Amino acid sequence: MPSAPALEFRNVAKVFDGLRLFDDLSFGIGKGEFFVILGPSGCGKTTLLRLIAGLESVDGGDILLHGAPIHNVAPGDRGVAMVFQDYALYPHMSVADNLAFGLRNARVPADEISRRINDAARALAIEPFLDRKPGKLSGGQQQRVALARALVRRPDLLLMDEPLSSLDPALRLRTRRELAHISKTLAATTVMVTHDQVEAMTLASRIMVMHEHRIQQIGTPLEIFMRPANVFVAQFVGATPMNVLAGNLRQTARGKAGFDLDGTLIATAIKHPGLPESPSWRLGLRAEDITLTAPDAGQIRATVGFVERLGEQSWVHVVLGDGREVVATQTGVSQYSDGDAVGLSFDGARAHLFDADGMAYHADVS
Amino acid sequence: MSAVAIAPINTRGRQTWAWLRLAFCASMLAFVLLPLLWAVYLSFRPNVELMRHAPLKLTGPYTLDNYIELFRNATLFRWFFNSMVVSGASVAGVLVLSSLAGFAFGRLQFPGRNWLYALVLMGLAIPDQSVILTRHQIFSDLHWHNSYLALILPGLSAPLGVFLMTEAFRALPKSLEDAARLDGASTFSTFWHILLPQTVPALASLAIYTFLLSWNDYWWPLISATRPAMFTLTEGMAAAQSNYIEVTGMGVLTAQAVVAGLPVLIIYILFQKHIVGAVTGMVKL
Repeated sequence: MPSAPALEFRNVAKVFDGLRLFDDLSFGIGKGEFFVILGPSGCGKTTLLRLIAGLESVDGGDILLHGAPIHNVAPGDRGVAMVFQDYALYPHMSVADNLAFGLRNARVPADEISRRINDAARALAIEPFLDRKPGKLSGGQQQRVALARALVRRPDLLLMDEPLSSLDPALRLRTRRELAHISKTLAATTVMVTHDQVEAMTLASRIMVMHEHRIQQIGTPLEIFMRPANVFVAQFVGATPMNVLAGNLRQTARGKAGFDLDGTLIATAIKHPGLPESPSWRLGLRAEDITLTAPDAGQIRATVGFVERLGEQSWVHVVLGDGREVVATQTGVSQYSDGDAVGLSFDGARAHLFDADGMAYHADVS
Repeated sequence: MSAVAIAPINTRGRQTWAWLRLAFCASMLAFVLLPLLWAVYLSFRPNVELMRHAPLKLTGPYTLDNYIELFRNATLFRWFFNSMVVSGASVAGVLVLSSLAGFAFGRLQFPGRNWLYALVLMGLAIPDQSVILTRHQIFSDLHWHNSYLALILPGLSAPLGVFLMTEAFRALPKSLEDAARLDGASTFSTFWHILLPQTVPALASLAIYTFLLSWNDYWWPLISATRPAMFTLTEGMAAAQSNYIEVTGMGVLTAQAVVAGLPVLIIYILFQKHIVGAVTGMVKL
C-alpha cells in the first residue's frame, strides 16, 4: 500500500434479504489512489460502492475513512461524492444549479459556490452549458456534468459507478482518456466500479477483482495481468480469456514443472519443488503466448476451427486432436481459413499453473 | 395516384373507414356540442321571444339583456365565489395531501406501509353514495353544515390522488434520491427540491381532475349547504331554475349556465393536453 489508508474495510459483512452477500471483507485504499473494483455483473461491486457512500447500511465490521468509522455519519457528511451510472442529474435544474445543490446544502457561501462551479466548469469544458437543462445535453456532456457535480464538493473520496457504460464506444474511449487525464491532475482518491477490464487496466493504480461477492485479487494492473491469483482472474482479465488446459504435471531435469499435454511435454519456468499436492492440474497460456507454425514445425498438430480478424491482430481458434479448443494470436490479418492444418508452439516460460482449487502458480520474476 | 394503382381495393377500404370514423366523431361532437350551442344561442335572445311558443328566427332579434339582468343579481356572484373557494381549496388540499402520501408510499420504508396503502386503495371501491348518510350525520352532529369547511373537507379524501402520486413517485429512478442524499439533502428537501418537481405532469392532471370534480359536484352541496348564501354555483343554479323559472325566464337561466360553464371551458382550453393525460393515464393504470 502506497501510504496510510484513506479508506479501509475491516471484516465488513452485508446481509441482503436474509442472504449473506459479503462476509469478512477487508481491504484498504491509499490516499490519491485510483482504485478500480472489477468484476462481472452481479458480483456485488456496486453494493460495495453503496456501502462506502452510506446508501446501504453495513451489517458487520467497520468501514473507516481516514481511520474513523463512518456508520453513524450521514451520506451527505462523509466527504464522499458519487458519479452514478445513469448520472442522476436533477432534470429540472440547470447545470449550474445541479452543481450548486450539494454546496448549498452544505451552506457554502454563495461567492465560493460560484467560484467552485466556474473552476469545475472550466476543468471539464462544460462552461457553455451552465444555463442549460441536462436533458438538452449529449451523453458525453451529461457525463462531464455528473463528474463536475461530484468534484465541486471537493470530496475526500470520489466514487464512480460504471461511469462510462452508458456512452457509445467511440465516446467511451475518448471519455476514458479524459478521465485518466483528469484523475492525474486532481490526484483525488477514487474508487471506480466497472465490468470492463480495459477501463480497469488503463485507469487503475490498483485493481480489485471480485467474483461472486468475494475478493479474488488486489494488485496493480500489471500484477493482475501477469500474475493472476486464480483461474477466474486469469480468464476474466485479458482481451480474450486465457487458454486453460487440463493435463499431467511432471518434473523436468532442471527442477522446473513440465506439463504433459496428451504426450507433448511443455516445459514451464515454474519451480516444481514449491508446488503443493493437488489431484489435478491445469495449464494456463495466453493467446499471444501460442505461436502458429507449419503443421509439423510445432509441438503439437491442430486444425483451424475459425478465425476472428480484428484488423491489427487475429484470434485463431484451433482444435486439438482430442477436440479441445485453444485460441492463438496472430499479428495482422490471418490468412488461415477454417479446416487448415497447423502446428502450435507453446511459450512455456510464460505459462501459469492452476491446481484443483483454481489457485494459480507463476514463474518467479527474475 | 400510384398507390391507388397498386392497391385500389385496400385504399378504397381505408378511405371508407376514414369517412365512417369522421361521421361517427362528428355525430358524437354534435351530440355534446348542440345543447351547449343551443344554450348560448338562447342566452342572447329576449325573454319575451322565448315565452311566445313560436319558432325562433335566426335573424333575431338578439339582446344582451339577460346578461345585464344576471350581473345585477348579486347572489349569482356569491355562488360563483363559493364554488371558486371550494374548488380552489379542494385542489390545493388534494395536491398537498396526495403528494405527501404518494411520496411516503412510493419512496419511504415504514412498518405497515403496504397494509396502509391497500387500505387507501380500498377507498377507491367505495362509492360516495354509500357513505353520504353517515357523513351527513357526522357533519350535522358537529354543526359543520353551511360552512366552507363542510363543503371542502369530504373532497380531500382522494384515494385516486394518492394512488396517482404513489405511482408517479415510484416511477422515478432511485439514483435521483441517492444523489440528493449524497448532496446532503434531508428527506423533506429531497421530496421538495428533487422528486416533487419530477411529478409535475401527474400533479397537473390531478389538479384539473380535482377541480372539475369539485366544480361540477352537486349532491354534497345540496345536502350540506341549505342556506342560499352557502350555495355553490351548481346548487344555486338548480335552485334558481326550479323556483324562479316563470319570473326570471329562460334567457336568464341559459345566461347563468353559460357563465357557470365558462371556468370549466377555459380550463379545458388551457390544459387540454393534461386532461387527455389525466384520463389516459388513469385508464392505463
